[in-house]
Amino acid sequence: MTVATKPAAAADKEMLISGCAAIAQALRLADIDVVTAYPIRPYDTVMQAVAKLIANGELDAEYIVASSEHDQFEIVKHASAVGARVFCGSSGVGWMYAMEAIAVTPALRLPMVALVGNRALDDPGAFGCEHNDALCVRDLGWMLTWVDTAQEALDTALIAYRVAEDPRIFLPCAIGADGAFLTHSETIVKVPSKEKVDQFLPKYDRGDKLLHPDNPITIAPQVNEDWVMEIRKQNDEAMRRARGVIQEAFRDFHKIFGRQGGNPFVESYMADDAEVILFGQGTLSMPVKVGVRKLREQGHKVGFVRLRWLRPFPTPEVQEALGRAKAVGVVDRDYSFGSPNYGAVLYNEVRSALYDLPKRPHVISFICGLGGREVTLDSVVEMSEILLKVAKTGKVEQPNYWIGVRG
Amino acid sequence: MTKALTVLPTQNLEPFKGVKKIALEEYFTSGHRTCQGCESALVMKLMAKAAGPRTVILGATGCMYVANTTYYSTSWVVPWMHTQLGAAGSAAVGTAAGLKALMRKNRIKQEPINVIAFCGDGGGADMGLSSISAALTYPEYNFLILMYDNESYANTDIQLSSMTPYGANTTFSPPGKARRILHKRWKKNVAGMLAAGHPECRYVATVDASYALEMMNRVRKALTIGGPTFIHSLDPCPKGWDYDPIQSHDLGELAVETGVWPLFEVEDGVLKFYGKSKSIAQGRKRKPVREYLLRQGRFAHFTDEDIEYFQKKIDQMWERWLIPGAVCIAMSDDIKKALAKSEVELATAN
Amino acid sequence: MTGSVEVVYRGIFQKHLGQRITRGIVLAAVKEGKVGISFGRYGDSPERNGIPAKSFAVVADNEEELQAYLSRYEPSNNDVTVAVDDTLCKGVESWAWYGLQPINKLTRPGGTVLATSMQSPEELLKDCHRKDAEWSLAVIKAIPSFSGLWVYKDDHTDVRVLGAIARLAPHVVKLESVEAAIRDEWGDELKVASVRKAYERVEIRKVRPDEGNPEKPYEFQLPKWWEMKEGLVIPGIPVKQEVEGWEGGYRPGRNPTFKKFSTRTMRPVVDFEICTKCTLCWLQCPDSCFDVTPTGHYDANMEACCGCGVCEAVCPVENCITMVNEAAFADNASQFETYEKDKDAYKTWLKGKIEDKVVTYRSHGFRYRGQYEEELAQMAAGGQLHSGVQSINEEPGAGPG
Repeated sequence: MTVATKPAAAADKEMLISGCAAIAQALRLADIDVVTAYPIRPYDTVMQAVAKLIANGELDAEYIVASSEHDQFEIVKHASAVGARVFCGSSGVGWMYAMEAIAVTPALRLPMVALVGNRALDDPGAFGCEHNDALCVRDLGWMLTWVDTAQEALDTALIAYRVAEDPRIFLPCAIGADGAFLTHSETIVKVPSKEKVDQFLPKYDRGDKLLHPDNPITIAPQVNEDWVMEIRKQNDEAMRRARGVIQEAFRDFHKIFGRQGGNPFVESYMADDAEVILFGQGTLSMPVKVGVRKLREQGHKVGFVRLRWLRPFPTPEVQEALGRAKAVGVVDRDYSFGSPNYGAVLYNEVRSALYDLPKRPHVISFICGLGGREVTLDSVVEMSEILLKVAKTGKVEQPNYWIGVRG
Repeated sequence: MTKALTVLPTQNLEPFKGVKKIALEEYFTSGHRTCQGCESALVMKLMAKAAGPRTVILGATGCMYVANTTYYSTSWVVPWMHTQLGAAGSAAVGTAAGLKALMRKNRIKQEPINVIAFCGDGGGADMGLSSISAALTYPEYNFLILMYDNESYANTDIQLSSMTPYGANTTFSPPGKARRILHKRWKKNVAGMLAAGHPECRYVATVDASYALEMMNRVRKALTIGGPTFIHSLDPCPKGWDYDPIQSHDLGELAVETGVWPLFEVEDGVLKFYGKSKSIAQGRKRKPVREYLLRQGRFAHFTDEDIEYFQKKIDQMWERWLIPGAVCIAMSDDIKKALAKSEVELATAN
Repeated sequence: MTGSVEVVYRGIFQKHLGQRITRGIVLAAVKEGKVGISFGRYGDSPERNGIPAKSFAVVADNEEELQAYLSRYEPSNNDVTVAVDDTLCKGVESWAWYGLQPINKLTRPGGTVLATSMQSPEELLKDCHRKDAEWSLAVIKAIPSFSGLWVYKDDHTDVRVLGAIARLAPHVVKLESVEAAIRDEWGDELKVASVRKAYERVEIRKVRPDEGNPEKPYEFQLPKWWEMKEGLVIPGIPVKQEVEGWEGGYRPGRNPTFKKFSTRTMRPVVDFEICTKCTLCWLQCPDSCFDVTPTGHYDANMEACCGCGVCEAVCPVENCITMVNEAAFADNASQFETYEKDKDAYKTWLKGKIEDKVVTYRSHGFRYRGQYEEELAQMAAGGQLHSGVQSINEEPGAGPG
């Protein structure tokens, strides 16, 4: 028996590119088939990069400049149904304009991958980062992940296709990327070879759900109350299965590319022995890590935990990472006006996830960095000090703080 | 990388030459839950029959979605997928683009597959007009968008749309004591607007399923000619128009004979009337709209003045529009003169 | 004490009629110091012309009783089930579910099915499925009243049904309270008179469990969530059904789950001898109901025909296709097969169906402005056959014409 030897995969190529350009590279490597564009900052940077790839013949895809975000998402939704690998994205109110199409995609079980370049919602018109746009889909059956670096953006985009297109899952996946901080900053990114990517990412095979004259099916008929709960239950089960499939994908990714070997769901930074932990997602990690180091130097047991997947929510990992601390501060780059304790979205998710622990840390809500405002080192110190005080006294004087607001 | 195909070939669907030559196969069959005498269901049947088996159909929200595909059952023989109310244009583009990409990359067999997206008047003339307009500007994709116009949001209980005729009774325009006529807008001229506004769209037509053969042959032409195409169908609706379902066919004919619904096609920028509309355009007398209006309960509250107003508007459409029933503007006299002069000069020069 | 009434009606054609009846019950109950609620079965909306739909009225002595009863989405223990079209007695398939529901399924043991019909209870009973309890079948003599969304045909069917309900279930509403409610609502003494006449003349027949149609109605089992295909995918319909001995014929694939047996109020009968095979009925049928026979005839398949009448309208040959009242048929057999078996017998059968205008006449809604007024004037003149209310002045049991 002869064993075919695989050609040695070419080495990663290092490129100085933005988070958006890194995603464009991932799309090229994933050999996407249909992609739609419509301008809105900051997401559109990825489409500017894609347009160049198309124009230069580096990416062979149907490239459609649409007339609205709703058109954009509907076009790729239907392309996905006939078996095309698709990409789409938006930001802020653009994402909201497409919301109808976005909302219907999970039940259709179409593995669309979308980028949300996080942006504050109008009014007032603002370009800066806020997470409320992407968070609007957290209950709808979209998998939802946030990335921290351009490298992670590229890697996550490849992982997103692999997980979304797994026939056990067939759910869309949105990648949250903080507007400006990630989308527009250029760093060195390792861009892998096509051979390696092909090893990791099989072709999208829609199987018996393919819309094609050879497979005459009817997709998404009208239903009444006799059917809806069963259909929702199917989506619930797919989301439950996603957890294991994500772990599988990260394991294989690590094997093939040598990166992403850590916990797929949470990144813990000096948190193992921490008395107080700051918790958040996205590019927040940079100032917080600096702050944590500084406070550690001063002898304070401060740590940081970054959430990587909001859906499916990694309850065991979050419990494990935060359960030993005395106080946890959840830093939300979003708001949820009128919610419990006037906290925000992530805060309430974390509080709920910790509730079943026999011994729970105190959880404090910090609303910070809205509309693209910088989360400064001073803010990190301020938040840490509040937590240290709670840890020391065991008392929560105030459940929620707006950090960095003038007043 | 494989060489990019710019435009894929289409199926060559020759016109059916006479009713006896029409294919026996149904690709939209029985067992849907539409009203008795539903003309839109007939449009679906004829459209699918005309297109044949190698077809993918996308259906926007509306009667022809809700009533045709009650879950766990369907009436579609060919593959069919729901699309959102305002997304017929996008569904057509997305499906055509997906098929094209996969064929170019040899992931599926290269063959002409018809793509048809349909929508009602609510989905097409109201919410989805921008998506249809955008779709008609992509010459590299082959598809047909068919708007079945039953002149109201008929699925949701007959609310008025921009295609509801002047004065009609709908749940959003009930005749009341203070205001007999609540709905005073005049119906949009969608086929004319789309033909006039999309120079790269090679085919736009209006159809009426009471003339089944003509209707099917227009569908076949739209699918054969290539690129994005549009067909607007007027469908009598026993529910919303309030009439005995046995009258569906007659009302479809009356709409044409009274001149309310002109049948025309615009092929490569040239407009032709066909069927009875052709003889009307050539001077045949139109039947009075009264005959059409008073057979429908939705106009039962009309006074003689209302009927006269309606008649006057139809007369204007045939007598004053630049192209009757299609282009609702007229030329100023000086432009007419100038054009006439240059035509004479052109003729002399030749 | 709680009581409820279910009104089964033809979608759109009888939408206003159904609502008027259930509203009338609640308005009458209020006159007795009771509380009540009137509602349509939400799953039936959006309604379609002809497809069966339901409206309910529940009345109770107090709010708590009413609430307890309303823990049901669709009351299943009704004192009276009203079939405002007698062909609904063959069974009901709403557009929202699969399977055929016998008309008396949600009637409580000992309760009554009340139909407006030109048939006698005896004749109508042949259509009604058997019930595992005693029940009654009552008839108000009338041609079923059909109109549409915008123009209502005010032929007193609504108030007559209310009068009959007062007789059949006085614990739900009493005659006096119905009369009082109608005076308040419409201020019309003629309507009040109609109530009283219907109260007096409604014909009632007790039914034993072993009487009625013995056929077991088609039932549909809803699958579990894991048995359903994910991604909202269902299989399409095969393009063709193979029929033995049908070379040259064509029977299209048909929806295996939803049949139109209970949607129809009329059906076409075809004279195959004079048919010119012009294709128009087949081509113009919105329901693709015609099978193409090997001889090139068109045979309306009763599992698919919804009875719209378009085939009759487009047929160029006089009396070739005639729409006949669905009540005149006992089965859904193929007319062409019957014709092939015995042409003379078929001819006799066909002639009977076409000529029996008493049975065939049905009103199917608005044809022209003034039509309902003409029909109501005939009613006022009395004794005219073609009006929904002519029988108000007749004695129970007296045949029409």
